[in-house]
Amino acid sequence: MEERIYDLIFICRPDTPEEEVNKLIALLEQTAAERGGRVEKAEKWGTRKLAYRVRRHREGYYVYLVVHGTRGDMIQEMERRLKVADPVIKYLTVRLDDELKRQRKLAQRRERRAARRTRKPKSAAAAQQAAS
Amino acid sequence: MTDELKPQSDPQSEAAGSERARAAATPASARRSKRQFFRKKKVCRFCADRVDFIDYKNVELLQPFIQERGKIVPRRMSGTCSRHQRWLKVAIKRARNIALLPFASEI
Repeated sequence: MEERIYDLIFICRPDTPEEEVNKLIALLEQTAAERGGRVEKAEKWGTRKLAYRVRRHREGYYVYLVVHGTRGDMIQEMERRLKVADPVIKYLTVRLDDELKRQRKLAQRRERRAARRTRKPKSAAAAQQAAS
Repeated sequence: MTDELKPQSDPQSEAAGSERARAAATPASARRSKRQFFRKKKVCRFCADRVDFIDYKNVELLQPFIQERGKIVPRRMSGTCSRHQRWLKVAIKRARNIALLPFASEI
């Protein structure tokens, strides 16, 4: 089965100590590894202002992960762990492989079209030369 | 206003006068409608930049397509093409979900 790519963002309370966040990331990495996936990238965006209040918080500590995996229960388990984790106030998982595939396809098509466009004027010029 | 109303008030008295009035009125209305319907042709920002993928994490990119109260700016105002507006809509909704953008701003 083809590998799937997910974006996983979660928000911790702003007063969460750094080590707690690191522990959470390690826990998620372990969860992914157990279920045949891996955490490709882990970024800590730091404390940001929230656009609206979440559990009475106006700020939150954002963590962004890119997860690769093939099994659906991996994400299920990761989301369950986030739900259970105390410092986490919000999380979001987005499956991105379809969109990335579409993006690649469009880029390819554009490239091909550009190549054709540069070739065409030359052939037209050649035809003109042949006519004259 | 008054110039337009005057010929209309006495069309029965003078048919030729009313005709003249109508002839005089039409160019004015045509001019008005032309001014009303003339709009600068808007070009989709994403098409101009050749965007294949709108990232929901890029708040600076999405911000101009959000109104003060948090609404999504309609296509007729932003000039975005239908395909990019569709992608934009999805991106904005995802950003809202993770508190990067507001559902409705307070004030």
